[in-house]
Amino acid sequence: MTTAAPRRFEPVAPDPDPARRPLFVRIRRSTSVRDISAVYLFAALFVIFALWEPDTFLTLRTWQVLLDNQAIIGLVALGLVVSLSAGVVDLAVGSEAGFGGIVVAWLLARHGVPIPLAILLSLLAGALVGVVVALLIVRARIISLIATLAMSSILIAVIDWISGSQQILDLGQPFQKIATDELFGLAYPVYILALVALVVWYFLERTALGRRIRATGGNLEAARLAGVRTSRIIVTSTVACGVITAGAGVLASSQLATGDPTIAQSYLLPAFAAAFLGSTQFHGGRFNVAGTLLAVLVLAVGVTGLQLAGAPIWLPDLFNGIALLAAVGFAQFQKRPTTRTAAIRRILRPRDGLDQEAVTKPSAQARA
Amino acid sequence: MIEDHAASTSPVRPASGRTLLRVSHLSKSFTATKALNDVSLEVAAGEVLAIVGQNGSGKSTLVKLLAGIHQPDPGGVIEVSDGSGRLVPLGQEGHRLHFIHQDLGLLPMLSTTENLDLGRPLGTRWILPARRGAEHARAAELTRHFGAAIDVRAPVARLSSAERAIVAIARALDGWRHPENVLVLDEPTTAFHRDEVGRLFDAVRRVVALGAGVIFISHRLDEVRALADRVVVLRDGRHVAEAPAGHLDDAALVRAIVGTDVRTDVRTDVRTAVRTAVRTTGPAGSAAGPVVLAVDGLGGEHVHDVTFSLRAGEVAGVSGVLGSGREHLNSLIFGVDRPSRGRITLGNDRIRTGDVTAAIEQGVAFVPADRHRLGAVLPMSARENLTLPRLRGVRRRLGAIDRRDEAAVTRRWIGEVDLRPALPDRPLATFSGGNQQKIVLAKWLRTNPRLLLLDEPTQGVDVGAKAAIYQLVQRAAAQGTAVLVASSDAKELTSLCDRVLLMDQGRVVGELSGEALTETALIHAALATGVSGQAADSTPEGGTAS
Repeated sequence: MTTAAPRRFEPVAPDPDPARRPLFVRIRRSTSVRDISAVYLFAALFVIFALWEPDTFLTLRTWQVLLDNQAIIGLVALGLVVSLSAGVVDLAVGSEAGFGGIVVAWLLARHGVPIPLAILLSLLAGALVGVVVALLIVRARIISLIATLAMSSILIAVIDWISGSQQILDLGQPFQKIATDELFGLAYPVYILALVALVVWYFLERTALGRRIRATGGNLEAARLAGVRTSRIIVTSTVACGVITAGAGVLASSQLATGDPTIAQSYLLPAFAAAFLGSTQFHGGRFNVAGTLLAVLVLAVGVTGLQLAGAPIWLPDLFNGIALLAAVGFAQFQKRPTTRTAAIRRILRPRDGLDQEAVTKPSAQARA
Repeated sequence: MIEDHAASTSPVRPASGRTLLRVSHLSKSFTATKALNDVSLEVAAGEVLAIVGQNGSGKSTLVKLLAGIHQPDPGGVIEVSDGSGRLVPLGQEGHRLHFIHQDLGLLPMLSTTENLDLGRPLGTRWILPARRGAEHARAAELTRHFGAAIDVRAPVARLSSAERAIVAIARALDGWRHPENVLVLDEPTTAFHRDEVGRLFDAVRRVVALGAGVIFISHRLDEVRALADRVVVLRDGRHVAEAPAGHLDDAALVRAIVGTDVRTDVRTDVRTAVRTAVRTTGPAGSAAGPVVLAVDGLGGEHVHDVTFSLRAGEVAGVSGVLGSGREHLNSLIFGVDRPSRGRITLGNDRIRTGDVTAAIEQGVAFVPADRHRLGAVLPMSARENLTLPRLRGVRRRLGAIDRRDEAAVTRRWIGEVDLRPALPDRPLATFSGGNQQKIVLAKWLRTNPRLLLLDEPTQGVDVGAKAAIYQLVQRAAAQGTAVLVASSDAKELTSLCDRVLLMDQGRVVGELSGEALTETALIHAALATGVSGQAADSTPEGGTAS
């Protein structure tokens, strides 16, 4: 049965060249619920809360605060997108942010290091964490899930050790201004997020490095056999992730005017929910920057709206948890084979295909 | 001596003993192909029935039908003895067939005792402490009965391959209340050392002596002769011959396995035709080209002391049964596995062993057998897969990949390999196996390799794509690429290669080229000469057999 038997397969229905499709088809495709469900979700949430809480939800201030708050979560999510693209499931992103935040606070308040140097050192600390994570994965061959879970715990311990489990205060007015000063009504972190998003998008989507990162995440062994130095690629992406998340932590300390040892955990789940919900958008199943930013916004609108409506304090956690499950579940649902994709799969894996066919349709064959 | 049963399907009556298994008019179709076509056979108590045939002759399908993994086409019946001499349809009367597959199905970390206990129902003992002493004693007795004096407390992973097989057999036999069972051994000796085979055969003979029946499926004719009482030959899904093992000689058996028609010579003609057609446009015939690859004393985990060289424009094949090292040689040269000794030179440069990226830089390309796991990044688009091995070849703008240039490169190559549908931005996973393989080949041809290594290049590929892939390989050779094809498909090797290296036990034991390179000779070499050194002797005989 392993014979190269003549296997008939129906050619996949030919799609015309995307550029040559009629305009209305292109519009219909680009607005299909399948690819941009989050946009519709956003619209629905907006309408619901606009009707429910018009006095608060529709004010400019609400939206300014929302964007200011979400900028930091957005940064953490972007860092996560970089590492997820390379196939590293980084459960330490939250702790990496917390670590960056506590290091900068510690340097400023306890050691009087100048602000630029303090920021630089804490970004370096983030990079160092990235290197350690990569070495655990590449050299010690520990799967990323476990390596980063352990790393997360270690980082939390380090954070507590550095801070003595106390908030670090007196970071100074100039440092505080970084995350709270506004330009055109929006705080600086929003612009920083936009800039980082642009850079990450450019590298992931447009450069050879990004292509190699995605190849590594798509199939590490195949990428290696195609000449991609996958170990270096993993180091590069975890370091990038470490720097971005540490930067997010610095902004968090600046925004709170405190080095808070407890913030670490509050970023992990929103970042994962955003990255995974984002992966179902635009590029169908692939982690991407635009989808992630959209997802951050949708999740924030949901949480903010519920809070404005007087929801209890535990609600954001519930909302993020459900959103993560829904996003991943939805992605699985998208992947479920329709009859056509099932046919394609049969051709894809001839051997399995035959087995499946035989196993799933014995009765049909017996009747024939 | 061999009775040809291509026309009549009634099996030869077993010489002795009661019939334990009867298969009558068994067929199995997969969409367009008949993998098994009206096969009938019987297994009697106390005999070993060997089933031989090429890859794709229907052996595995038969095993899967017996195991119930596949359902037979209507009309086919499998009957087993119910213990009192009557035959009842399979499935009505408990487990009467027992399978020892190649991988044996043992848990390597558990001890022999634990492995033997796994399948047994616990009943009320599930909560009681295990009676270790008694269980160990029982396990030891059981394995000793089949000729293995082993430490039943040690993890199975520490046993030799024959000992492991014996444990598997003991487990299959454990719990038989009467001996009227059939044991199916599906190529059990593939991973064995020569001297271990005898131990396994002793164990099998003991099983037979109990009064059970055995079906033995093997690639190696010497083993078949040593163990079997009767031999059934399958070809193209049909039961084509059956004879007592004592009446066999190799030539007759190979003739039955390959078929007596002279298709093989037609194949050779096609090869020459394709070659000359392509060669007229390209430089250098196979003999004239300079040496591109020189492998000297190469050794690794599954390969020992391999020495050969390959010229520009030459297509060489690697043949051998599974476990002969055939499937490991290419990855060793490419650097997927790190060689333990020996030297590989490419042109004048020594290849840095164990460094894939460096090998690619030096002009080596490798198409692995496992496309899904190793060959391609299936979630990425065809275009992205195509340009991955040499991204530097695509123009840049502001450090970014110039998408127009990449699209142009992609267009050229999908034209070259005739990708269908010609939609390079689709994920590669949505293409058919043949078209995926075309992209995998194209991505390497794009790097303009000096040496192209192919492992099972047309596995799971439809016929149309197969022809296209052969054309591409021939064209690359005509342009001066040295090609090394490792394949289990004798037809493929005869239609692609100038010469074929024969491997056995990790060593190159012979070579076929020119007139001697025929399908019959290849199969003869692979089947008959399990023992090193005989390959060369058997070549002329096999070559003239058809």
